[in-house]
Amino acid sequence: MPRLLLLISTQSYRAGAFLDAARALGVEFTVGSNRAQALAGLNPAGHLELDFRDPNAALERIVEFSRRHPIDAVVAADDDGALLAARASRALGRAAHTPEAVAMARDKLAAREAFARAGLLTPEHVTVPIGDDPSSWAARVRYPCVLKPRGLSASRGVIRADDAVGFGAAFRRIAAMLAAEPPRASGEPPIDSLLVERFIPGEEVALEGLVTGGALETLAIFDKPDPLDGPFFEETLYVTPTRKSEELQREIHDTAARAIGALGLGHGPVHAEFRLNAEGVWPLEIAPRSIGGLCSRALRFGEGESLETLLLRHALDLDVRNVRRERAASGVMMIPIPRAGILRGIGGIERARGEPGITDVRISIPVGARLTPLPEGSQYLGFVFARGAEPEEVEQALRRAHQRLTFDIAPV
Amino acid sequence: MSETTNEPWVTVSELAREKILGLMKSDSPSDSALRFGVTGRGPGGFQYRLGFVPGSDLAADDRVVDAGEGLRILIDSGSAELVKGTAIDFIDGPDGAGFQINNPNPLWTDPLALSIQKVFDDEINPQIAAHGGWVSLLEAKDGVAYIQLGGGCQGCGMVDVTLKQGIEVVLKERVPEIREVVDTTDHAGGSNPYYRPSKGGRSPYS
Repeated sequence: MPRLLLLISTQSYRAGAFLDAARALGVEFTVGSNRAQALAGLNPAGHLELDFRDPNAALERIVEFSRRHPIDAVVAADDDGALLAARASRALGRAAHTPEAVAMARDKLAAREAFARAGLLTPEHVTVPIGDDPSSWAARVRYPCVLKPRGLSASRGVIRADDAVGFGAAFRRIAAMLAAEPPRASGEPPIDSLLVERFIPGEEVALEGLVTGGALETLAIFDKPDPLDGPFFEETLYVTPTRKSEELQREIHDTAARAIGALGLGHGPVHAEFRLNAEGVWPLEIAPRSIGGLCSRALRFGEGESLETLLLRHALDLDVRNVRRERAASGVMMIPIPRAGILRGIGGIERARGEPGITDVRISIPVGARLTPLPEGSQYLGFVFARGAEPEEVEQALRRAHQRLTFDIAPV
Repeated sequence: MSETTNEPWVTVSELAREKILGLMKSDSPSDSALRFGVTGRGPGGFQYRLGFVPGSDLAADDRVVDAGEGLRILIDSGSAELVKGTAIDFIDGPDGAGFQINNPNPLWTDPLALSIQKVFDDEINPQIAAHGGWVSLLEAKDGVAYIQLGGGCQGCGMVDVTLKQGIEVVLKERVPEIREVVDTTDHAGGSNPYYRPSKGGRSPYS
């Protein structure tokens, strides 16, 4: 029976989904995680503690483990395991994105440069060392612009500035954030500099895809109907299928395929973000992983297969050609954190669940926890899921459900 | 029909009765009764419900215990056999004061449940206690173990790993009659999960 190594950090939202998928496929699996698991001692073949911040040591452990328990595929649940999965796959001779491509995709500057070389629409950008005096740069950049730490993901530390004063404030805020970040592991994108780029106006869409032998198969395109104009870029609504024209969908797919080629991503999942405007399709990011949080629950394929099952089948070289997303429209809202404080309670959950079209409401932060919104924060309050005949119906259901929710947040 | 009994189904010490009647007098109407029953099983044994209810809050199959001095104890039928012979006392010592419930009954009598409880007590709970968690058996029926997780396991981001790579694997190995484990925990209600998820950031727990 094949054995999978699932790299799942303790910050993951997706442990359950990947474990269920492995079960559904009837394969053996081992969970490789960055912290000790409570029952690891009772099932040693099922657990492997790996220091994701020391990839060389982690890789050595994986290779040594695979001698006792041969591993057929290595899959990372999230961004933080993607590079280790790529390195382990190479070491074990398994098809996967290469470590070089993963590293390039996760570094915002390297990705921008690769897109520009490939002739893709790329905003003008500069790199600013975090130790520099922001006032000298504030006079040189064009506004509006967006400041982005090179090595953080999920919109953390991404701030729009409309003038020199805003630039200085955003720069100092990001510098304070980065000063509190733990040191980077080797191969991780650096956090000692910012990417400052022209703000690109327009709507955003996201593409979920699988790359096989360098060829992209688009699994879903999501509309992101809430405007993402800053000053922070908190994602909220994802609705699929997209309402964009077929021609534009083809352009999005083609742009994604070119961007994937530019990065050299060869085999595995991708989650891509694009801005759309009159100039065309702008690739913002091609992440070498699947969609994050609990958002994958908005996707079902074939006879109800989960995205995670599809990813594991792909990793095991099982046939995933011509897999189609279900016909129904579907969507998810990542519940934004309205303000900083201590969460005292969330009201209206049952009323939100009772809204027509709503399939689930999941709260993922416990009462009593401290809430930190973007750009510093790294958690969602929870997720709302909806399904319906049409995307518009799904979008409205998600908005109505969110309006039902009330948040009791005490000041810190 | 409810049954009033003078046999010592549940006994209450003099001090405990005095404390209960004192609390009842200050907090509840004069016709109140004490509702007593088992709500579940935890790592420390049975978990109990103990609270005042109107005397009229009596189900047809309740067992009613006359504990003396006007104190009536109402026991639901599901709990009656589980608490038979229980002594309720009040302890006031150097470690604090409180009610103490001494229940002579075993947690389970069903052999399958007993086997599962033994695995929980001997192997699983001592391990997950290191993460502030515990697992309780609610019921074992038709090859399915219904369980509840608490403490650091309730709402933990890695609870599925604990459940599917730990509890299920060990339980199926040690108790082959078990073919499925169903987690009935309300994970959204967890207030202190051991690991918390975050979106690509650095968790304070990482």
